[in-house]
Amino acid sequence: MDLFSLNDVQIQGIASYKQIVIEEGRTTFICGKSGCGKSTLLKLLNASISPDRGEINYRGKPIANYNTVLLRRDVILLSQNVFLFDNTIRNNFVQFYGYREQTPPTDEKIAEFLQLCSISLSLDTNCQELSGGERQRVFVAICLSFLPKVLMLDEPTSALDDSTSEALIFNLKGYCVKNKITLIAVTHDKLLAQRYADTIINME
Amino acid sequence: MNHIVVLNLWQFGIVYLLLLIVLAIMKHCKINQSKLLVVGSFRMSVQLVLAGLILTYIFKNPHPLFVLLYLSAMIALSIHTALARNKGINRRFQRIVACALTLSGLFVILFFVTGVVGVSFWNPQYTIPISGMIMGNAMTGVSLGLKTFHENITIQKTQIDTLLYMGAAPKNILLPFVNKAVETALLPTLNSLLGMGIISLPGMMTGQILSGTLPTTAIMYQIAIMIAITAVVCLAVFCSLFFGYRTLYNKQNQIKFT
Repeated sequence: MDLFSLNDVQIQGIASYKQIVIEEGRTTFICGKSGCGKSTLLKLLNASISPDRGEINYRGKPIANYNTVLLRRDVILLSQNVFLFDNTIRNNFVQFYGYREQTPPTDEKIAEFLQLCSISLSLDTNCQELSGGERQRVFVAICLSFLPKVLMLDEPTSALDDSTSEALIFNLKGYCVKNKITLIAVTHDKLLAQRYADTIINME
Repeated sequence: MNHIVVLNLWQFGIVYLLLLIVLAIMKHCKINQSKLLVVGSFRMSVQLVLAGLILTYIFKNPHPLFVLLYLSAMIALSIHTALARNKGINRRFQRIVACALTLSGLFVILFFVTGVVGVSFWNPQYTIPISGMIMGNAMTGVSLGLKTFHENITIQKTQIDTLLYMGAAPKNILLPFVNKAVETALLPTLNSLLGMGIISLPGMMTGQILSGTLPTTAIMYQIAIMIAITAVVCLAVFCSLFFGYRTLYNKQNQIKFT
């Protein structure tokens, strides 16, 4: 069954999507010029915004029928603007877990996820001292540690150099395949998409 | 105790001379607000003269209807002012603010006049001036609370979006902003309690002492009104924000900032 299917979806002059299907367990990259509605598509997929027309289905059921808070815990979206609390890396995990009413992971688990995102810093490092790229990866690590069913990344490599981007996406994809997480990423980096995508959706 | 010296018009007029000092300083510092000063002092004078005339009439002919009218006007004006200072909030939020100000105001006024002072609610000599103090402070508190809340959620839009996208409930995301705004709105009132009687002899107490009331009675009134003001600010701000923030998200748990 398709994980997501969009049928003739429109949102007030911003963007329209004729027919889009996203399959479960695969890595889908969404490419296209800026302003063509890539980020909007991700927001539609976890019901952070609603379309003005058309239907979006998740696992065969209209997305509007889901409890949207629970849906977003399964279908996590990492936006382009990275937000971290002005606090240590460990406390960021604690605070984000608190907002989702979950108990935070152990230090070993946290370190494991940081490692996966090529971060080898002490958990006591204050996030205010991190570079843009480090912040981005810490944030990916936090979201990944929630073990969502679907991980949606909006320009995950925008603040990273080429080799770090490669490493991050390589690790992410490996982890997602192993743990049956569907990965959806918006990017303008065609090479990266060609190398790692199972499916590429090109938007005009 | 002596009765207060009744001011005659000439004596009274002298006080306006002090405004000349203000004007001179403003001119010296190139503060371009002399128009505001003139308009402000003029409006203040006219409004108070009117209030004086109306109150004189009401005290001579006490009637529940007058109390009701005066109180309604005060509440309406306080709602209008609090909302006019906070343009960016939605209709339902505005209605909740109006209800919160009205109900908390009325509750504290009723408690104070009938419970503490122990006179009839329809006694204009007590209800009207006390309502003025209560509503005025409630209005300032609610204005500040709304402003803080609205500014903070606008500044922290990235935080709010981030948390929403990862599956935090809107309630969990927004409640900390509510709590912070209630605290900010309450702080000036709490701080004013500290200086009371030392740095400042407040208006009501001064007034009562001038008119010949025993200072011991005056301070009891002052203590009571300060506590009433603290309560009304807290209650009105809390109710406005606690019931109001829910208007910012819909059934799909999508947050709209206005």
